[in-house]
Amino acid sequence: MQQAQAIIERVRRVSASTQHLDLAVEKSQRNVEAGQIFLARRTESSDPYLREPWTPVSRNGGTVVVERPATQHYTPGDVVNLIGPVGKPIPLRDTARNLLLIAYDSAPTSLLMLADDALRKKMAVTLALVGTALHYPLDGLSQEIEIIRGDSEGAWPEQAETLRWAEQIVAVAPPPFDLLHYGRLLSALQDIRLDVPSDYAYVLYQPPMPCGVGACRACLLDYGKEEAMACQDGPAFDLIKLKAVTREAGR
Amino acid sequence: MIEITSGKQPLRLANPVIGAAGIFGFSGEYSRLIDLSKLGALVTNPVTWRPRRAASGTRVVPLDSGVLVHTGLPNPGIHGVYRTFATKWKNGATPIIVHIAATTPEEVGQCAQVLETAEGVVAVEIGLNDEASHRDARLMIGTARQYTHLPVLAKLPLYAAQHVALAAQEAGADALVIAAPPRGTARDPLTGQLVGGRVYGPWLKALSLRAVGQIAGHVQIPIIGCGGVHNPDDARDFLEAGAVAVQVDSVAWVRPEMVEVIARNLGGLELTRAAGALADEWRPGLGETAVMRAQLLASPPPAIPPDDLPE
Repeated sequence: MQQAQAIIERVRRVSASTQHLDLAVEKSQRNVEAGQIFLARRTESSDPYLREPWTPVSRNGGTVVVERPATQHYTPGDVVNLIGPVGKPIPLRDTARNLLLIAYDSAPTSLLMLADDALRKKMAVTLALVGTALHYPLDGLSQEIEIIRGDSEGAWPEQAETLRWAEQIVAVAPPPFDLLHYGRLLSALQDIRLDVPSDYAYVLYQPPMPCGVGACRACLLDYGKEEAMACQDGPAFDLIKLKAVTREAGR
Repeated sequence: MIEITSGKQPLRLANPVIGAAGIFGFSGEYSRLIDLSKLGALVTNPVTWRPRRAASGTRVVPLDSGVLVHTGLPNPGIHGVYRTFATKWKNGATPIIVHIAATTPEEVGQCAQVLETAEGVVAVEIGLNDEASHRDARLMIGTARQYTHLPVLAKLPLYAAQHVALAAQEAGADALVIAAPPRGTARDPLTGQLVGGRVYGPWLKALSLRAVGQIAGHVQIPIIGCGGVHNPDDARDFLEAGAVAVQVDSVAWVRPEMVEVIARNLGGLELTRAAGALADEWRPGLGETAVMRAQLLASPPPAIPPDDLPE
């Protein structure tokens, strides 16, 4: 992790709601991996005060591409101050062949780099879009990713079959509704499996992170028998070890 | 060295800039971004006698030019903290001041006693809560004073600072820290709920600075200014108002490099602002953190050609 300046080299509008920024980044920040983010600051002013989480969707040599809302204005040549990479890469099991990605009520931006990594490993990748995630534009996604469209209640057609097919699952949902969605996912898995194994279903926990280095403890959570910090140990957490999720599933 | 407090065991620091409680973790969490050895000391996150869990629900609410944070003061308790960090404190490059959250006088005293022999710990800071009365201040500070020979700093709540400052002094505090970030309430835009917590931001400086200025003339012990310091000029304003040192807080979240800039400036490593220094003269070394320097030292030195090379 390092704090360094990056330059916006290119701004591409990829859909009505999203744009991609090509960032020329420092050497130490080029190795950012799926799940890791940057904490970005564009201005010297205090508004916004905290750094914005910028999520990479791909990398190529010295360039990292991040996805941002189209409502924000960026100009090529702008300098951005980045802290990162923050967090750990999302674990991808070598033995898994079928990867199920689920986006609940949020853009699947955090999952796109993982999908590319999985495709490179010859895995079959399915992306389920649920709730407001249905509005996410699919034009820029690889043709090799199977897309499933869900409903506003958090389910999708033939859900049980898809969950049985998956050998690894990674889900994303926005705070503060993440626990609700992850609890439902755990319940759905418990309905079709006698035992939900560890290292099988991961969920992304991405609360606001004031520091990003594990100092302020604002992103602390109960994880197994210990505590973990989303900025240091996340964002991917094993679904069955998250106590808040198991409590939610038990309701 | 700057003498922050006098007495049997004076607190002497190499730099008047100190990392505030709740921001920098328990030891060197920020060492990858900031050269912490440039700071005079680091105050740890709040510690309690018993372990405390993180707050449930919303913990961070963005504000206009600031932020509200409610962590619940999670910590593994004084013994857990001591077990985990004592070695790091001993071997760290920065002196440590342990912040003890004022729960009960007995617990504050017991925490202070545990820290009595901790190497690397140069003082304890007692964080008085927002509702602290004169009596509370006397009890908390007085008990800590009984249990430790380390310098005792009293961190005062902003809105009660003037009322409890004299009580803290009379109870034996070696210095006052003015002030803790005040509590506020804000609506979480995601849940729509009102959330209470401590508020941070550059605007806080005006409030803390006034409190420092007003109290400085009424107490005989040193004051450490704290609240909203975001650049060297902010820090110097606190010194001008009567503080002997300053604590920097949430600037580390928004611009970590500025912590080092402030420390270098007040530590005499940069020309003063009155002389119109060119910051670029020293900025190239900025960001060379302890970790990076260790990596540099680990790499082999360049070969030196022998003196008797034929021309």
